[in-house]
Amino acid sequence: MRIRIRPLALAGLAALGACQLDLASEPQTPTVHYALSPRTTEVDAEGEPIVAPATQEHIAGSLAMLFGSPANPRFLRTSEWVDDGFDPNWPTYAVGDDGSGEFDEDELAALQSDNRRDFARELAAIEAGEFERVRIPSWLPDLAGAWSAHLASKPADQRDEEFKTEAARLLVEFYPTLRDSAELYRQQCLHCHGTEGGGDGPTSRFLNPRPRDYRRGIFKFTAQKDKSVPTRADLYTILDEGVTGTAMPSFRRFSKAEIHGLVDYVRLLSMRGMVEHDLVTTVTNDDVLSAETVLESYAGVWEKWNKAPEKWTEVASEVPAPTRESIERGRTLFMDAATGNCFSCHGAEGRGDGASAFTTVPETGEILPAYKDDWGNEIIPRNLRQGIFRGGRRPIDIYYRVKNGINGTPMPAAVSSMTDEDIWALVHYVGALSEQPRTRANRAAAHGANQHGNGQHGDSQSGDSPSGGGSGH
Amino acid sequence: MMRLIAFLLLLAVPVLGVWTFVTAADNNWWFPPAYSTFAPDIDWLFDFIMYMVAFTFVVTEVALAWFVLKYSAKRHDKGVFTHGSHKLEMIWTAIPAVALLVIAFTQMETFANIKFASGFPTQGRFTREKPIAQVWASQFDWRVRYPGDDGVLGTVDDLEAAYEFVVPVNEDVVFELRSRDVIHSWFVPEFRLKQDALPGHTIPVWFNATKEGSYDLVCAELCGWGHYKMSGRVRVVSAQEFEAYQADLKAKWFSNGKE
Ligand code: HEC
Ligand code: HEC
Repeated sequence: MRIRIRPLALAGLAALGACQLDLASEPQTPTVHYALSPRTTEVDAEGEPIVAPATQEHIAGSLAMLFGSPANPRFLRTSEWVDDGFDPNWPTYAVGDDGSGEFDEDELAALQSDNRRDFARELAAIEAGEFERVRIPSWLPDLAGAWSAHLASKPADQRDEEFKTEAARLLVEFYPTLRDSAELYRQQCLHCHGTEGGGDGPTSRFLNPRPRDYRRGIFKFTAQKDKSVPTRADLYTILDEGVTGTAMPSFRRFSKAEIHGLVDYVRLLSMRGMVEHDLVTTVTNDDVLSAETVLESYAGVWEKWNKAPEKWTEVASEVPAPTRESIERGRTLFMDAATGNCFSCHGAEGRGDGASAFTTVPETGEILPAYKDDWGNEIIPRNLRQGIFRGGRRPIDIYYRVKNGINGTPMPAAVSSMTDEDIWALVHYVGALSEQPRTRANRAAAHGANQHGNGQHGDSQSGDSPSGGGSGH
Repeated sequence: MMRLIAFLLLLAVPVLGVWTFVTAADNNWWFPPAYSTFAPDIDWLFDFIMYMVAFTFVVTEVALAWFVLKYSAKRHDKGVFTHGSHKLEMIWTAIPAVALLVIAFTQMETFANIKFASGFPTQGRFTREKPIAQVWASQFDWRVRYPGDDGVLGTVDDLEAAYEFVVPVNEDVVFELRSRDVIHSWFVPEFRLKQDALPGHTIPVWFNATKEGSYDLVCAELCGWGHYKMSGRVRVVSAQEFEAYQADLKAKWFSNGKE
């Protein structure tokens, strides 16, 4: 007995020590590189790579030159941009001050006031001169670096007011570098969206719909016409609101600056994917990938993103309120094969069971989705009676969906003969489809329907009457 | 030597136990502050049960130690087989039964006040019939749906917000809790309020927050792999700020895309 206890206790202590050591050491970020997309590394029937390995290597090298690596992502500045004072890595600075100038004064002020809120505790500590109480979040390595450098610049006993002001400025004027954002992306998004933004992270296998593959530059929920790449505002909205009814959550718990940083990083990954796609599709194996080709493609992709605001869907009128007539009119359009034609996919009752959306396998009688999205996944039209709108439930959101279609999916843009009024009528009709006012009469009706076993109405369960208090049962 | 170590180890348990208890408040290991009208009742019940358990713990541990010493091998060399004592068993069944009954009766009023239909506010702006909002739990976030101008939920003028639930301070608030997929649980530690959200049920919940501020809303039911990050906020604001928030939300809701 006596002999047995000691090694056990020792082993326990050793294990504890090991744990502590593990905790004490910095979390190791492995030095990863962005991998090439499956399209680039594809092999033919004989197992031979379609793109010669040397060319593949060349593409990987070019992309690393243009976009850096996950540990150190950055946009290459072409010599032209250096002359123009344009630096895509700094959206908050005006062009000429070596930035890309994507924020106006108001937006910068909003960012700063949000930083004051987000760093309130740290700013109070600085005010009180208790610098050691300032904790920089683990996902902001560059800010942490700048902070330590600031602390190292003056010994503790010489820290004056100016030192405090400078310290506070670091936090108030904070805008994440691409490296900061890549770290936040690694912690929050990578497990779904993957290192390259290919929508192939480890969690993605379990999700439907699959996380977005950014590499094609195709985004679903935007206010953009003509399948254009999204604006910064589109991406910001997605991160702020999430995509209801899918695994994509809202990231509102992060500060405005951090969300903008994530937008920067999603843009980088998306542009990287687009350039890769470009190079793979233009280059044949006999060509040598010249620097000009690479830079041309880079410039072309940047042009698309820079011009995105021109493709924004402007709505001149105010949002009209639904009327009985507009809803009726929406219904007519919904059912009309020549204009709206919505019923062919969404079904006459809007339940997502339209005839054209499904095919029947003749042999087995099995019913399968007829459509695939641009990423090759099967897709079915939305059941419009559930009140779940992934791109947002606001009238303007549904307007964008109906007017422009949903990029990357079979959902088409409105035919050109449809007027603005027609589209609003459809918006009103779609809204009415999922409307289930929770009045007493309605609840009683829903209850009655339930009792007759007719529970297919999207929300029929709401016929509840927890008479004894909700948790009582 | 071994005896001494064993003794010290054993002694460490009560000493550490008492030490954590005494220093808990200073180390911020205790409850967060109580900011709802019924939170003090819950805390009182918690303390009541805790002192009861603490008393039982001390009595049983002392008895245990006493038995260990009294019947050690040094003093008694051989145990005696016994069928037990009927009387003793009656006693140790009856005492806990009574204790449980005492707890049951003591908490009844508080529980009824928070969870029963009879305890729900009927005066005020927000009642079971006119809830302030519907809160939707889904894997893995919280969304809030306010009824908008017509005061009726489920109509097109409903306003929706992700992540944050804004409520007025010092006012009875009734909301409906719903789940989109699996079982979740709505928990705001400062309010001492926890309620499961069940798919297919609409569960009314009420509270009255007593201090302005922004509080963590967490999911207290293991709901899937992302459970740990299913976070939200409940922001308690003045009545005017609440109106302003609703107006902002409405402006955003009916915007034509230009701010
Ligand atoms: C739990 C998995 C998950 C996590 C974590 C996640 N996403 Fe997503 N994301 C998705 C899914 C699923 C979709 C696709 C939704 C759809 O197709 O309707 C998506 C879509 C997107 C889109 C495209 C929206 C559009 O309009 O096409 C962007 C951009 C995006 N996510 C960015 C991010 C960023 C940035 C993060 C990290 C801060 C993140 N996501 C974290 C699952 C996730
Ligand atoms: C070719 C088939 C097709 C047609 C025609 C079609 N849709 Fe769709 N619609 C879809 C698919 C597929 C989706 C789901 C996209 C997704 O999963 O992201 C969808 C989604 C939607 C959504 C949900 C958007 C969201 O945010 O979740 C709305 C609203 C909608 N359609 C309205 C309409 C209206 C109105 C019409 C007629 C003008 C129409 N659709 C015509 C296929 C179609």
